[in-house]
Amino acid sequence: MLTPFSACSFRASAFDCTRSKGRGAAGELSQGMQVYLPIAEMSVDAFVVVGIGLAVGLLSGLFGVGGGFLMTPLLIFIDIPSSVAVATSANQTMGTSVSGLIAHWRRGNVDLRMGVVLTAGGLAGSALGVQAFALVRQLGQLDLVVAVFYVVVLGIVGGLMVAESVRAILRRRRQLRRRLHEHFWMHGLPLKVRFRQSRLYISVIPPALIGFGIGLLSAMMGVGGGFVLVPAMIYLIGMPTGVVIGTSLFQVVFVTAAVTVLQAVSTQSVDIVLSLLLMVGAVAGAQFGAALGSRLRGEETRGLLGLLVLAVAVELLVGLVRRPEALYSLGPLL
Amino acid sequence: MRACRLSARARHLWLALLVSLAPVPAAAQTLLAELSQREVAVTTGFAGAELIVFGTATGDAAGPGADIIVTLRGPNAPVVVRRKVRIAGIWLNGPSEQFEAAPSFYALASTRPVETILSAEERRRLRLGLASLPLSPRGKIEDPSFRQALIELKSGLRLYSEDPGGVRLVGDRLFSARLFLPPAVIPGPYRVEILLVRDGRVMATRDLPLTVVRSGTSAEIWRIAHDQPLAYGIAAVLLAAAAGWLGSVLFRR
Repeated sequence: MLTPFSACSFRASAFDCTRSKGRGAAGELSQGMQVYLPIAEMSVDAFVVVGIGLAVGLLSGLFGVGGGFLMTPLLIFIDIPSSVAVATSANQTMGTSVSGLIAHWRRGNVDLRMGVVLTAGGLAGSALGVQAFALVRQLGQLDLVVAVFYVVVLGIVGGLMVAESVRAILRRRRQLRRRLHEHFWMHGLPLKVRFRQSRLYISVIPPALIGFGIGLLSAMMGVGGGFVLVPAMIYLIGMPTGVVIGTSLFQVVFVTAAVTVLQAVSTQSVDIVLSLLLMVGAVAGAQFGAALGSRLRGEETRGLLGLLVLAVAVELLVGLVRRPEALYSLGPLL
Repeated sequence: MRACRLSARARHLWLALLVSLAPVPAAAQTLLAELSQREVAVTTGFAGAELIVFGTATGDAAGPGADIIVTLRGPNAPVVVRRKVRIAGIWLNGPSEQFEAAPSFYALASTRPVETILSAEERRRLRLGLASLPLSPRGKIEDPSFRQALIELKSGLRLYSEDPGGVRLVGDRLFSARLFLPPAVIPGPYRVEILLVRDGRVMATRDLPLTVVRSGTSAEIWRIAHDQPLAYGIAAVLLAAAAGWLGSVLFRR
């Protein structure tokens, strides 16, 4: 799954990874099913793109996250410019999350009030994030900033997830149980609100701040943020696991929708053809993933997801530190 | 449109005939050429296009010993070339150079390596060949490594090329060249230039226009994305929501 990264890693900008250098126009014309992406202004093999969607969808169904954190690097790997990869990935994550949200809504697994608080924070965060994104792109450091964001966020989250699941597995062995409520500084904050479905009576400040952070990540990384949001809701807010996925999907849908519109307006880099191709694969893949996921235990699944997240982070870090194969890169004059 | 082009071609042929029949002065040279297509449409299925330039050279300069050079040049597209530097163990984009007049596409095909056909001076004057392309870097101190990198990167994308054997001669006077336009070509006016060279001197030239246009759905999508970004963004959101909803309906058990 991850080996393709090493061939020409994340440090590459749109032009670094040279495509087939060989001549032979006929060979170029006949390979796969080429589809021209109107915004990325390049053609890609439709099967490769649908395949990426399928693979990411499978993982997202398996782990209950959007999978944007894998989608963006994979798109950059197939030479999609970083800006288009990030913006389109947000659009695609939204589409995939809508099907998840509908399913959870039907089962009543969405805490609407909590969702609204998270979304409010998320919208503010994404507005700021899109501005920062445009600024960084103008400075020519987009690839670096996206990569650093990925390494830091994925490294921390992956590490925490692995540690937590190891602890959970050990705890299970020792037959210990966690306390239902853990009180700490967070519960002293003002603006307390009752979140009935989450069975919580807490201040709106922590969820709003968490939402803000996720919105920022969403704009800068093209991710839904589920992989950060889900653990944050469980461990920081203390929500019951049953409503966490549905509520996080609620927030992800609205924030990625906002990011899509903001990116379309400020950078014009949302490619709907690419996003539709990805969604075809991802929606189908998510169903298989969900079926597969029901056979695994929660702790093991989280541990595996943590390992996957860590592996991506390490791979991207290596790309930042290792001497690049191409010292020069080409970009349009903005 | 088509009729007009044909009649123009017919007129050229007529002229050529006149020239070859009449007892002409030695200076009269004729270079006739045509393209396999005058318009390249970038559609949703665009995977590059092959352009064939063909023609004939008549007159005293043509024949054995003469060379043909064909160039195809795309509209200018300003680019930035950045060099990565290592800061605190991390490789990041450092110094950069902006090239205001870099052509988005440049292809040269000739009967022999162009350096053996024309002198460096002549090539510079004619702005012929990758080594002589005027790219107008913006920086005050000219660092040739940026220019070199630009040419290498663009060559890797097949946007810049030089093909020393690319012009094929059939007999003495008929020639043809194949030029490949990769999927990354940008729309706009392109120009094909054909030169007839003998003894280091350009004897005749011919210019032919080529247009690369976005066409069909992809052109519409690009236009809306840039002209009405807000509407485009909202449409992208609605489309994603519809696709997600459809997925949940299709896979509901």
